[in-house]
Amino acid sequence: MRLPDSVTGSFLVVLGAAAAYGGYILPPVPGQPVGPNVFPLVIGTGLALCGLAIVFGIGHSFEEEEELIPLEDGQAASPPPQGKLYGLRALLPPALLLFYVVAADRLGFIITAAIMVYVTSTALGAKWKLALPLAALSPFAIHLIFGKLLRVPLPAGLLPTPW
Amino acid sequence: MLKTLIEAFALISTWEVIIAMFAASVYGLVIGSLPGLSATMATALLVPVTFYLSPIAAIATIVAASSMAIFSGDIPGALLRIPGTPASAAYADEAYAMTRKGQAELALGAGVWFSAVGGIAGVLSLMILAPPLAEVALSFSTFEYFWLALLGLMCATLVARSSPVKAIAGMFLGLLVSCIGIENPGGVPRFTFGITDLFGGIEPIPALVGVFAVAQVMRAMLTPEPPPLPRRKFGSIMAGQWKLTKKYHWQMTRGNIVGIIIGVLPGAGADMAAWVSYAMSKRFSKEPEKFGTGHVEGLVEAGASNNASIASGWVPSLLFGIPGDTIAAIAIGVLYMKGLNPGPTLFTEKASSMYAIYLMFIIANILMIPLGIAMIRIAAYILLAPRSAIMPIIMLCCAVGSFAIGNNMFGVVTVAAFGVIGYVMEANGYPVAAMVLGIVMGTMVEQAFVTSLIKSDGSILPFFERPVAAILAAMAIGALLWPVMVWVWRKVKPVQAVAATSR
Repeated sequence: MRLPDSVTGSFLVVLGAAAAYGGYILPPVPGQPVGPNVFPLVIGTGLALCGLAIVFGIGHSFEEEEELIPLEDGQAASPPPQGKLYGLRALLPPALLLFYVVAADRLGFIITAAIMVYVTSTALGAKWKLALPLAALSPFAIHLIFGKLLRVPLPAGLLPTPW
Repeated sequence: MLKTLIEAFALISTWEVIIAMFAASVYGLVIGSLPGLSATMATALLVPVTFYLSPIAAIATIVAASSMAIFSGDIPGALLRIPGTPASAAYADEAYAMTRKGQAELALGAGVWFSAVGGIAGVLSLMILAPPLAEVALSFSTFEYFWLALLGLMCATLVARSSPVKAIAGMFLGLLVSCIGIENPGGVPRFTFGITDLFGGIEPIPALVGVFAVAQVMRAMLTPEPPPLPRRKFGSIMAGQWKLTKKYHWQMTRGNIVGIIIGVLPGAGADMAAWVSYAMSKRFSKEPEKFGTGHVEGLVEAGASNNASIASGWVPSLLFGIPGDTIAAIAIGVLYMKGLNPGPTLFTEKASSMYAIYLMFIIANILMIPLGIAMIRIAAYILLAPRSAIMPIIMLCCAVGSFAIGNNMFGVVTVAAFGVIGYVMEANGYPVAAMVLGIVMGTMVEQAFVTSLIKSDGSILPFFERPVAAILAAMAIGALLWPVMVWVWRKVKPVQAVAATSR
């Protein structure tokens, strides 16, 4: 997801301008010169200016390249497969969280959580021998801690817990 | 004073606090030792649990978990050359070189011992600095608060190990996030786009869980698994530590002081303290040529430094609600929820709670020595747990924890969204810590700013009229202009700049 500075900078310019405009059109408090519109206006302007500076590469010289700590000589890990879709794997965790939002009420906590655990674990390279028991047991453990001890109302759905 | 101290003892000597502290210590040690799971993430994931605890027990968990995690990050750093937390990254190479020389015990022992010493030095700074500063802060008006907040925000951008422009942009992003909702001077829905869930604004805690925990799981998806730890038998871990303390007492003190100063600065935390102290140790050492070959001196100074910063990070947090580092940012959220709203009056009205916090810090740092030694001995087994078994649990905790904050699915959506935001920002060199600071401080900055504007009736002069305000204003503007000056300086004298940056 490494994007050129010109892209992120331009995005910030647009976002800043939108924020400033959005603040500008807010209704003022009657009889008062400053209201809820001032702060977004200031921030939006600042953000847009920063965006412009980034587009023009100001401050780039300060950036330090991220130091990757290499593995011990001779046992360097094989480079991960770099397919076109490989980068999209990073979107899996947020996608699973959204899945939880959509499905938890219908399927219940245990089933949704088991699916999340299984998918995450498999995506990180676990064999089914690890992923399956993990998916079967960890939702119950979490439910015990949060649902039973901390009384978080987790949805029961299709499969209610024995407690 | 004595009465308050006894009250504080009474507050912390309940079973709830003791169990919470012990459990959080073990939790912090385990999370900190696992590569890729940082101390901040450990603290963020604790927050949902703290809802159900009493205020003191809630703070106890945060104090214990964060202190332990910072030390525990040294363990995989020394044994695998993979730092468990970013705060150990500065000296992971050095510690690993010592392990290869057969001095793993000495390196890890120095980690435990000087972390504990540093932590206690940090508490002392909190105890000494906070009350007199609270006296001063009582006379602050909104003008001072505005400049102070601005100064805090600017500090965060200055110390970021990234482009200051990007750091400032990150800070503005955070402030913009804090604009969402109806909690603004006019009480009108702002940037809510008609979505009811946004009326209450974005809660800082789910946002923090998102940028620190979910983003980390996202990164794990794309990075190879770290190698397993070779099993080894350890000799005595504390042997020789007292000798080191006597030999390197000056380095240790310097590390403590640097850690305290960096901890107090808003936005700069343990990782920055470790980097600065390690560099300083090398710079002033009598035998700099030994650095990098397994020399314990840098470990002493940096280990003393990063734990000192943890406690001193609470100074601005407790006094002004300005977080000293990202862990303190989370702590502030918890303080507000527990009715211990940060501010100078906290030290007069809730003095016993403050003493309880000091005591808990001291206890946590003492507890670190036995628990830390135990942890080092069993680390080989814990580090056997593959990432594919840990990350799914983290995911579940993110989902359930963020739901628990408001018993509301919108929290889970927030976590997912901020996971993506944090991931994209980090990948492109925008420091996430600056955004976090903006989110946490946004409401306060706006309140101070707008109230000051209303009071001054459109004039800019009152912002500088009061003496403290003028000093803070000068510092804030100086901090704002500093990167510009450095940038100009580098353009003018490119040769010197090259010499200065190559270290």
